[in-house]
Amino acid sequence: MSRRLLIVDDHAGFRRTAARSLGAAGWDVVGEAADGEGALREVERCAPDLVLLDVGLPDISGIEVARRLHDRDPDLAVVVTSTHERADYGELAARSGARGFISKLDLDGDSLEVLLKSQA
Amino acid sequence: MNSSVTSVGQPVERSVARAIRDAADTDDACARALAAIGAGLDVDLVAVWAEDSAGGASSCEASWARDGAAALVGLDRDGLLARRPGLRTAVEFPARSERGVLARIECFAARPAEPGPGTLASLEVVQAQLGQLLERRRAEHSTDVAFLRHRATLQAALDCVITIDHQGRVLEWNPAAERTFGIAAADAVGREMAELVVPPDQRERHRAGLRRYLETGEERLLDRRVEVEAQRGDGARFPAELTITRILVPGEPVFTGHLRDITARRAAEAELRRSRARLVETAYEARRRIERDLHDGAQQQLVSVAMTLASARSALGDEQGEAGELLEEAIAELKAATAELRELARGIHPAVLTEGGLEPALRGLVRRSPLPAHLVTVPEGRFPAAVEAAAYFVVAEGLTNAARHAEGASAVEVAVGVEDGSVTVTVSDDGPGGAGLDGGGLGGLADRVAALGGKLTIDSPPRVGTTGKAEIPCEL
Repeated sequence: MSRRLLIVDDHAGFRRTAARSLGAAGWDVVGEAADGEGALREVERCAPDLVLLDVGLPDISGIEVARRLHDRDPDLAVVVTSTHERADYGELAARSGARGFISKLDLDGDSLEVLLKSQA
Repeated sequence: MNSSVTSVGQPVERSVARAIRDAADTDDACARALAAIGAGLDVDLVAVWAEDSAGGASSCEASWARDGAAALVGLDRDGLLARRPGLRTAVEFPARSERGVLARIECFAARPAEPGPGTLASLEVVQAQLGQLLERRRAEHSTDVAFLRHRATLQAALDCVITIDHQGRVLEWNPAAERTFGIAAADAVGREMAELVVPPDQRERHRAGLRRYLETGEERLLDRRVEVEAQRGDGARFPAELTITRILVPGEPVFTGHLRDITARRAAEAELRRSRARLVETAYEARRRIERDLHDGAQQQLVSVAMTLASARSALGDEQGEAGELLEEAIAELKAATAELRELARGIHPAVLTEGGLEPALRGLVRRSPLPAHLVTVPEGRFPAAVEAAAYFVVAEGLTNAARHAEGASAVEVAVGVEDGSVTVTVSDDGPGGAGLDGGGLGGLADRVAALGGKLTIDSPPRVGTTGKAEIPCEL
């Protein structure tokens, strides 16, 4: 699997640290978006293999974005993230068609790898 | 004073009897009887002293004077003699009925006079005649007073008091009814009440109710307060509180209705409900904003710092050393701080509720519950935000209480449903029971539910367990 990553979060600080952390873990960050509409556009433009999607976006909820992305392309891997814990959002994320949920507190190259492998 | 009814030389009791027979009413009878006594005994003044049960000075109840002077009613004996100097007592005798002495009759004359034996025999009869007469007169007067008091009460009442006969026709219509309905008593009395105050579409039901009561004795409205719709003379309708009672009088049934216009009270109640709902709504918005601020601000920054530190640690590569250990420690503490902040934010308002509604929010609650909890049913749809929040906190509080107080409880069940336009939430444990609504958390929650027009009840029989149930109307 190639490792083209799109990061969607309205906090520039998080996008930057996530890009650095996951970039160091071997991911190729090919795009960033700050809201739901931007995410849907960026997916078209940069054709990522994985979308890291924050739940709390200013325009459309991340869960809804995940659902739309899944409807468009069920093969596209989406991982939902948030500062909330898995107990809160795990189920909503799973139902939206996303591969899973990782709390931002636990997010790094390894945890992402583990999640994607468990889903493969 | 007509003196033709008396004539000297006739036994007094006969002229008294004729006086009473010819009189128009008891007042007239009393006046004529005293005149007959005065003429028969040839005295100048006759006074009736009411027996004072308290033993004080008795007062003049009725009087007759030969010269036609004004009545001396109300005076005591000294007062009377002061008005009529020179008089002295000629004859005195009691007026009796079966109940005893009602009054003393005192006859005064300017000249000393001694009644003869025939007169004394006559007076034996007159005592009884006057006793009966005074008794009747007093009864009538007290009825008059009661009647006047009754009428004054009706006149002064702030509530409409309407009396109807068995055919539903108005007998009495007090000033409050005139004001409320804009219909004068003179126009109302004699007309069918239903036509005056009941809205047209409800009249037939009203008439049927009256007929049913009269035919079968079955009543649905009597002797209780009900809220009804009434109609004014100009056709405007208004909410009213009504009590109908059957008043016990001889003859055909008579009913009295007490009716109060509760337009203002209804409006005040509605405004109170709206303002409570607004307060809940405002509080809800405030909590949501605080949660969002915590989430978007401090939490995000802490997460970013933690990730940066993690990156720094990775950058050390194989040379971790002491710096690596310090970074590891800092990351662990940051994670702990963020988790604490997350719990705090969730207690203020659960973001997942806004995001996904009751279902995922309650699943999260149940999963974190210290006692094993099971979410039996939960509707998938969305409800007004304040309703969802109240339902969520009912479950949260229920789970917390079960874990805290239900010693020996092994499991908790949570069920949420929709019944009759209300969201119902039940949290049941199998603990020792005996819980009430007085716990601080539950009391506040009950207020919150009530402010949304719902209610929170606790059913907690000993040894059976505790069930908290909230019903919250979905339509706000």
